Amino acid sequence: MTKLISIAKKELSSYFKSSMAYIVFGLMICIFNIFFFMIIDQNREASLRDIFLVMDFMLIFLAPILTMRLFSEEKLTGTMEFLMTSPISNTAIVLGKYVGVLILFSIMISITFLYYAIIEYFGSPDRLTIFTGYLGVWLEGALFLSIGMLTSSWTRNQIVAAMAALAIIFLLYFSSNLAAYFSESTATIVREIGTLKHLENLVSGSFSVGDITYYLSGIVVCLVLTRVCIEIRD
Amino acid sequence: MISTKNVSKNFGSFQALKQVSFTINRGEIVGFIGQNGAGKTTLMRILTSYYRASSGTVLIDGDELSKNSLAIRRKIGYLPETAPLYMNMTVRDYLNFAAEIKDVPSKNRRRQLNSVLEQCQLESVAHKTIGTLSKGYKQRTGVAQAIIHDPAILILDEPTSGLDPIQNRQLRNLIKGLKNHRTVIVSTHILSEVEQIAQRVLIIKAGQLIVDQPLDALLNAHSSDQNPAPSLEQVFVHHHQEKAAVTDHD
Repeated sequence: MTKLISIAKKELSSYFKSSMAYIVFGLMICIFNIFFFMIIDQNREASLRDIFLVMDFMLIFLAPILTMRLFSEEKLTGTMEFLMTSPISNTAIVLGKYVGVLILFSIMISITFLYYAIIEYFGSPDRLTIFTGYLGVWLEGALFLSIGMLTSSWTRNQIVAAMAALAIIFLLYFSSNLAAYFSESTATIVREIGTLKHLENLVSGSFSVGDITYYLSGIVVCLVLTRVCIEIRD
Repeated sequence: MISTKNVSKNFGSFQALKQVSFTINRGEIVGFIGQNGAGKTTLMRILTSYYRASSGTVLIDGDELSKNSLAIRRKIGYLPETAPLYMNMTVRDYLNFAAEIKDVPSKNRRRQLNSVLEQCQLESVAHKTIGTLSKGYKQRTGVAQAIIHDPAILILDEPTSGLDPIQNRQLRNLIKGLKNHRTVIVSTHILSEVEQIAQRVLIIKAGQLIVDQPLDALLNAHSSDQNPAPSLEQVFVHHHQEKAAVTDHD
């Protein structure tokens, strides 16, 4: 556990030392602020539903940017050999890196709590819907980050890792739109695999075990696959 | 004690190591030499658990490496061919991170870190970012991470590669200072270094171990009236020419 925390701390500090965290934070918060203003101005309602959907869409691009370096950089610089020959389990390496990037993402999302404070001050939002909405966005981000980390374990090229993550996340995000091109039974499966249906349930205030299980099982599958992939180094 | 029995390693259809067997006793300093691509790095990576042997067994102090890898890794310090450094970390932060993941107890960590900084003459650059250091300091930082947990076995893969003569001498002196209570395996192309450091020599050629002898015995075996004190370089060239001649003849 101590080593897992050491890896997580190392990851988190490397985002801030490379100034990547500041650039991504700055850009994302600017974009979110613009959409928050536009959505509130047009809808005139004390709800964050639409801003959650915008945040969700931005995560498609944010997750690969944050995760592309996780293993690719270690492979390229040779530090992977240092980690893999140290007395630390592969599971601790994977979880440590994941926790590090997840904390960074959580900090970024927590900055947007200001939006809730604003609509709470000026209106009477449904607090349960706000809570499930944030939970949905956080789980969706956590899933996308686990996908990004998985693709990063495949290659030493960060761009290739980011593009592979983008392709997978894109397919998951838009799979409900693709469902129309499949037979009815296949279309149901394609819709269920897609993330949009599950996120829309949560941002609408519908809290179901099925949606939570979907995200958690997706994350676990990606983490297990990442662990398997870093074993392969011949 | 390090013992390998019939260790082979295949990468697809290419056999990088062929039935390599040797035993290195505690406290021995072994020079591991061979041409580029001979299989030195592959064997070092197997000894450090980075690669798994395709066949054969590796025993460290009687424990089988494949079955007890995590515990055995605590006993081994390893400097790969390219020093594994995080360029945006300071030397002190990097060594502290290495100490954390290599199980140095937190109460001893500061003392151990200061001791290693002193041993590797890194005190003056401890607060500098690794990316800004010269090649010599980077390489010494690499050695420092390898010894931060005071390992019983030290494996150094071409530690002096790419250094200027002064840096080379500094690092060689550092390695000499490390050998007191450790088993050290050093791979290098600079054979004069092996003569200065090692007690025993392993020569590997095309994945096969062709020489495993104490340095003195090896040099004596190749002495003659014309050349009473051959250098290791002459012995190395002799072995490779001899094999090449046999191959040509076949």
